[in-house]
Amino acid sequence: MGARKFGPGSAIGLAFGLLFAVFPLFWMVSTSFKPSNEWVTTPPVWVSENGTVTNYLVILWPSVLLEQRGGLGQYTEEGEVTAQRATESDAVSGAVADFLTKSAWQSIRGSIIISVLSTMLSIVVGFMAAIAIARYRFGGNVTPFFILSGRMFPPIAIAIPFVVMFSAPGIEATDSYWGLILAYAAVTVPFSTWMLKSFIDELPQEIEEAAMMDGMSRWEAHIKVTVPLIKGGLIATSLFIFILNWSEFLFALVLTYTNVETIPVKLSKYFSATSGQQYGIQAALACVSIVPLVIVGFFIQRHLVRGLTLGAIKR
Amino acid sequence: MVTKTANGGVPVRALQARARLFDPNDKRYIGILFITPVQLLLITMLIFPFGLEFFVALTEWQPTYGTSIWHAVGTVFSGDTELGLNYYYLVTDEPRFLEALGRTLAISVLSLCLEFVIGLGLATIFLKTFWGKRIWFTALLTPMMIMPVVVGYTWFMLFQYSGPVNQVLGWIGGTSAGADLQWLNNGVLAFFAVVITEVWHWTPLFFLILLSGLNAVPENPVRAATVLGASNWRIFWTVIMPNMRGVIIIAFVIRGMEVIKLFDEIYILTRGGPGTATETMSLYLYKLGFQDFRLAYAGSAGFIVLVITVVMINMMLKPIRYELLEKR
Amino acid sequence: MANIKLELVELRKEFGELIAVDDMSLACEEGETMALLGPSGCGKSTTLNMIVGLEAPTSGDILIDGQSVLQVPPGQRNVGLVFQDYAVFTHMNVRRNLEYGLRVRGMARADIDREVAKVATFLHLEHQLDYKPLELGASELQRVAIGRTLVTNPEILLLDEPLSNLEAEMRNQMRRELRRIQAETGQTIIYVTHDQIEALSLAHRIAVMDFGQLKQYDTAHNVYHYPDNTFVGSFLGNPPMNFVHGQFGHDGNRPVVAQNGSIIPVPAASAGAVSDGADVIVGMRPESMMLAEADDPEAFTASVIAVEPQGPETVLTARIGQSDLKLVVETGTQAHEGAEIAIRPDAELLALFDAASGVRFKA
Repeated sequence: MGARKFGPGSAIGLAFGLLFAVFPLFWMVSTSFKPSNEWVTTPPVWVSENGTVTNYLVILWPSVLLEQRGGLGQYTEEGEVTAQRATESDAVSGAVADFLTKSAWQSIRGSIIISVLSTMLSIVVGFMAAIAIARYRFGGNVTPFFILSGRMFPPIAIAIPFVVMFSAPGIEATDSYWGLILAYAAVTVPFSTWMLKSFIDELPQEIEEAAMMDGMSRWEAHIKVTVPLIKGGLIATSLFIFILNWSEFLFALVLTYTNVETIPVKLSKYFSATSGQQYGIQAALACVSIVPLVIVGFFIQRHLVRGLTLGAIKR
Repeated sequence: MVTKTANGGVPVRALQARARLFDPNDKRYIGILFITPVQLLLITMLIFPFGLEFFVALTEWQPTYGTSIWHAVGTVFSGDTELGLNYYYLVTDEPRFLEALGRTLAISVLSLCLEFVIGLGLATIFLKTFWGKRIWFTALLTPMMIMPVVVGYTWFMLFQYSGPVNQVLGWIGGTSAGADLQWLNNGVLAFFAVVITEVWHWTPLFFLILLSGLNAVPENPVRAATVLGASNWRIFWTVIMPNMRGVIIIAFVIRGMEVIKLFDEIYILTRGGPGTATETMSLYLYKLGFQDFRLAYAGSAGFIVLVITVVMINMMLKPIRYELLEKR
Repeated sequence: MANIKLELVELRKEFGELIAVDDMSLACEEGETMALLGPSGCGKSTTLNMIVGLEAPTSGDILIDGQSVLQVPPGQRNVGLVFQDYAVFTHMNVRRNLEYGLRVRGMARADIDREVAKVATFLHLEHQLDYKPLELGASELQRVAIGRTLVTNPEILLLDEPLSNLEAEMRNQMRRELRRIQAETGQTIIYVTHDQIEALSLAHRIAVMDFGQLKQYDTAHNVYHYPDNTFVGSFLGNPPMNFVHGQFGHDGNRPVVAQNGSIIPVPAASAGAVSDGADVIVGMRPESMMLAEADDPEAFTASVIAVEPQGPETVLTARIGQSDLKLVVETGTQAHEGAEIAIRPDAELLALFDAASGVRFKA
């Protein structure tokens, strides 16, 4: 059939689509290897000829840079920092020096702790809810949509009550890990519930019933029979929820200060009043932070649609 | 309750009595047991804060007043202050709020339509066979796996005055100098910058959903129409698209639910600026709550937004409720 | 010969290594019903697809009314195809389905309405016009699919396994319906099926296919009674044709086929130019053999090993040498298990095949 032919029109369309999709990523990776004097230039530098890993060192091992420059001391005074800024030959410009006191490890650790724990919580709670809905039709059509409603609220409309509640005397959950973990679990549980429900729905109920005939209690049957059978779905859902938690920005922005930090928030902190956005450093941290997302994303590529459409579309 | 017993001899009544007390294997108990955690989580993390905020939003409390929030809630019941003024001001005296609502809608509709058209175009290409299909497919999906904040920063870099977007536009215009467009500092351009960013981020999802829809269109009706003499164009509109109806609705609803909440990318790109040119509902609420610290006022606006969102989403969900609940 | 409507000339289709249709040539007359018969995967659907244009042949030609249609796109060949799963447009009501082809052709509204009404009446669909396909039963869907094609007045109507999705009872009804359509419209029909009964009861001519090859193309009567090769003999008929392997020779003047000392006398006419000692297969239809007197010179003896009465007829299984034969006799015939019987094959219908190639020796 004519429509099946891959003609020049298709080729051009595909080329444009690919360029549009990939170019921003290329730019981010390219920028992460640029020295600071190439971040903003006219015309822009496409690929740096003076490629450097300084930006990565700033976020991961600033001590290496500090040693190179003989310690932090000489930059603490305003005058010296300004003097340094004039020396463009230096691998680390003065602006970068402002960010050498604190690596990004705290935020990476924070992101991992919060994402992993809130994902686990969301999956456990979501799995149980999915069983109740898929197998016991619990709450008819109302409960599933009540759970879904958590997903309908704009996060900012949730963030305001969160801040109010978290800062209320007697609760004081601001800037704490557990506060953020609970908050993340609450907003991802609709996804985990609905996605797991779609996997459970695909499993014939007779399998669990057979296990119950053999003397297992319902509780045991769901844990020992259902869980292994939807293992793939469980993993896919977990990874999907992990992506959501890892990417979350707004709650982390308004519910944390200094004690707890996540990567998205850390990104926005690479900004100085004197020299503006630190593009290279941001790009480097961005590259580091999307590595797990892209790996996980490709791993569950088959299930992404199911997750994002709450199980409405299976492939 | 338990009437079906094949236990030989044990009085049914005795069994019933025990079952009535507590049978951990009873369907209802298990149902309740399994649904409880999610209910607990949602009650503590959604119902309770929203309940609290509901009362606070009736007052004009601000953290800067120095009074405790519980005190603010107390005033609701003590009758010391006039209640609900926030809502009155928001609806009658706050053009910025209503503008933000309209702007959100405009960005959403424009982005979704662009995403739909581009996604559909790409999906039809992927019905064909060509070299490297698998790799291109994966490459096209990448944007939607990137976290919103990174998407924001990436496009922030691209949209700089001396950035690559202007440079490429300059080349298209035939000059080696970049185009003279202040993407993030000009109201109209900033609006489109936000739309372009959103389209870049989420077209892959439309592409993916529409492709799975196109692949699910049964082959024989298409062949039947071909044999009846219909052109490809006609087949596309009279046979393929009607078969895609459900999938298209799902795509729009799912993305619609998300895009009206758009915050992260705009926060990074423009902070809602210049002025209020890209200020969406979420940005407006953020500024009220976290720049002006008018948490009660922001809460009121939040409730209005919430009602609007929930009503809109429920309207959108109606046609696909069946698909979502259906066992497949 | 009347007008030749469709002609396939050495039509060939390869999918990579697989040869789906192997240099097939045949001609079909106007107003005739031709059945493409063969087991699934034999290339009959591919042939159909090539005729309508959904598939391009690797080589060969397709002529409709003497004109090659290879360069004509599928929609303009003016052939109609009814799919096995009907492929009705489920989002359109019956009326919309029926008028689809006419709207494509840009026919005027009034003409469309008239044509649709005509076809709907002809196919007894006039009361279902406003129904959606989901509300219809299988046989109604089938008629919608046929009507949607008939309304465009095709040169040839192609039906792909039209009865296979119907219940047994519906199948008989639809078979009558198809015969009526054929009779009343005088339509040239090509009919793909794997069911020999369907082919035998509906088609004037049958093209038997196997592994992409045309095994025989002839009238239904000839294909049944005079199979060109062992495949055709075994594919048609229930029970199928009996085959006995043996050596051709002469017992005195009588041409015979011998196997392990048992001999089957064969008519001289069928033997033709077969030389003595050749490995041959004797083919006999179960219903073309009768019980004979023991001294009948044209009969051979066999021992009965099974008797299966099936109403008015009884299927006897008899053994000759190492071969089992099935024969259909009238119920009540005196034959019991273990008995020696004399069998006289119908001299006209007995066939001799070459053992190596399975091809029939031509007299």
